[in-house]
Amino acid sequence: MAASYLGPALVPNADAAWDEAKLPANPDELVQKMMGQPMRRAGRFIKLVCCGALACMSRVPEEALRGRNIGIFLATGLGNIDEILPFITQVFKHDGGFPSPNQFANSVSNSAAFFLAKFCGIKGVVLTVSQEELSFESALWLAQSYLAAGEIDLALVGGCDVFTPSVEDYRERLNLAPGRYRRAPLGEGSGWLLLGGDGEMKIGDILSVEFSSGLTDAERPSSDDLLKYCEKQFEELRHKMESPDDGCNPTPLSFPRKRESTEIPKKLDSRLRGNDRENVTKLFLPGFRLSDMNEALWQKNGWEMDDYLIACGISSTASACGLARTLLSRRRTFLVHGNFSSSGRPALIAAATE
Amino acid sequence: MKNGNIHIRGWGAVTALGWGASEGARRLIAGDVRPAGICGSAHLVNREFKAFEVPDDGNPLEKSLKMLDASITEAFERGGLSASEIAESALLVGTTGGIFIRNEHEFTESVRQNPGRESPPIVCRNRGPGEVADVIARQYGIRGLPITFSMACVSSSHALVVAADLIAQKRIRRAVVVGFEPLLNLTLQGFASLLLYDPDECRPFCNRRMGMQIGEAASCLILEEGESAAADQSGFWFAGGHLYNDNRSLTSAGTDGEMVRGVVARALLKAGTDPGDIVAVKAHGTGTRDNDLSEGRGLAKVFGDRLPPVVSLKGVIGHTLGAAGTVETALWLSCLDQGVIPKSFGFAETDPEIGFAPSQENLPAAAGAYLFTFFGFGGTCTAYVIRKMAS
Repeated sequence: MAASYLGPALVPNADAAWDEAKLPANPDELVQKMMGQPMRRAGRFIKLVCCGALACMSRVPEEALRGRNIGIFLATGLGNIDEILPFITQVFKHDGGFPSPNQFANSVSNSAAFFLAKFCGIKGVVLTVSQEELSFESALWLAQSYLAAGEIDLALVGGCDVFTPSVEDYRERLNLAPGRYRRAPLGEGSGWLLLGGDGEMKIGDILSVEFSSGLTDAERPSSDDLLKYCEKQFEELRHKMESPDDGCNPTPLSFPRKRESTEIPKKLDSRLRGNDRENVTKLFLPGFRLSDMNEALWQKNGWEMDDYLIACGISSTASACGLARTLLSRRRTFLVHGNFSSSGRPALIAAATE
Repeated sequence: MKNGNIHIRGWGAVTALGWGASEGARRLIAGDVRPAGICGSAHLVNREFKAFEVPDDGNPLEKSLKMLDASITEAFERGGLSASEIAESALLVGTTGGIFIRNEHEFTESVRQNPGRESPPIVCRNRGPGEVADVIARQYGIRGLPITFSMACVSSSHALVVAADLIAQKRIRRAVVVGFEPLLNLTLQGFASLLLYDPDECRPFCNRRMGMQIGEAASCLILEEGESAAADQSGFWFAGGHLYNDNRSLTSAGTDGEMVRGVVARALLKAGTDPGDIVAVKAHGTGTRDNDLSEGRGLAKVFGDRLPPVVSLKGVIGHTLGAAGTVETALWLSCLDQGVIPKSFGFAETDPEIGFAPSQENLPAAAGAYLFTFFGFGGTCTAYVIRKMAS
């Protein structure tokens, strides 16, 4: 139904420039604008979670949300590390420090989700999920499970991680060893999607969220494997659109050891059918772990690459910003976002925009 | 959704009571328990706080990982899981601190090795709570979906309910659910800053209660769909559960007990269980004024004058925070397995505002439904029902 993203420059839904060396930016002006009040006691993580999510919710009229059972699925790789660091520094201070109770309260892992739920008036399913660089993918998969089971009407799903100095420490927390990430500046962001609804306000479909079972680098699919997978996924979906009576479950794909996936929506519009197919852009969004993409081959097969990291930089949940940014682009697109965990487990999100 | 066809295939727990759920249950039933004490681990910078420490001589990082390994191994062995069954399982982890113990251990070691020098600022290089699942998946070859829940004190209890929901939805067939919470300066000092400790002992539901005491633990439960020989052997079924987040207060579940009543009532409904069928309640019972009042009043509203025996385990293992869900469930199942509903420790005087005393004697563990409750920071609550089948 809606999407939003916030990058390091803290300008909602815009690719604003930022300087890695000057991070992090002060979010108080944005907080005042988005929330209508300051959040004096909250840390940056809580502020960015709330601002990013409210930027998404504010794109939907209130009447579309009224009476709906909404679940919150907050994904974060590092969580409120901005509160934990000063607190633990006080604890370990050489001559004895005075840790602040407020700082500890804000450092508790689900504080941000609580404040967001409070601002949005949401009760019920409110989950904080963390799985390193696949946190957002995990939250999205979980949200789709709860939507499919009818436990909730709508799912507010987002990923947020904040930059904490120094650059070297942040790099280590993200496990950015040489050769294990694409060259891009470090960043932060808060990307959100509002999923569900009856389709009237639809801006796109999340078609599938898939995790492979690979556990080691040796099992990582190559760029060519990914391309084959994406081509097959696209053809599979197109076939489904043209033969909707075949059921909604895709046949097994050749992507290595496919484990967990969502179901393809039974009714998609005509975007991927027949002649319209030629007008659909095939877009691949490479996550920050994909350092060895054979872009020439992808382009030869009709795929465009969107390096969304120019909008948000590297963070554990950058994929949330990338996906939201594409869904907001209003291009007719079939897209796949791909990334690996640092230990080699791949995850892919397939989506189609209106 | 209802979860009636899910059995608990295996479980394990390392707590202050010992390096296994069975050993812990034996000691708990025998009353062979120790109060919280000043902790000896080398990484703790303040020796004023009493806590329930897992006995071990190793360094704190190695000890924590050993706890994790022992609890998972116990669960796998109890459940008789083959390597392929382990590999195809989903992995759900509940933790707040993750492997933050590494930072604390490395920092205190660097200070110890440089006597006389001013200590440097602590470096935080852990990769967030999700790192625990990554470590477990690689160690045991678990190839199913890993998801970590970092939800304060309901982290692993929420993980259990989500695992059961995913099994009921046929999204997964089996879940390895892990709770992990090493003893950290971060949490010890944090709860001290909130003035939430009882300096003497943890006294759940007692009128003299003054606060909580922290414990360290690791634990694991294996939930699996369908009937099988393993299900017959285990004899425990996850009947249904409910997770809920309120948004009224960051720190309190509401002392009128209404939220507790609502969550427990919904869990019972999902489990297809009437309040009168509950054999006993494994309560959250932290020993803090507000939690026990909220929970006590909530339970009284649900059960009226037919309140079953209520037991808190925190008087003997402390509050194990994000691990509490799986730890207390595993320990409880081992007690039931040994035929006993354990008594609640740390109680001396009934709180007139609560109006009941927790169970003060070991009772025979009848077949039937057992209720588990957990509450946490951020308005979070979990309640679920586990059925013990007649042997």
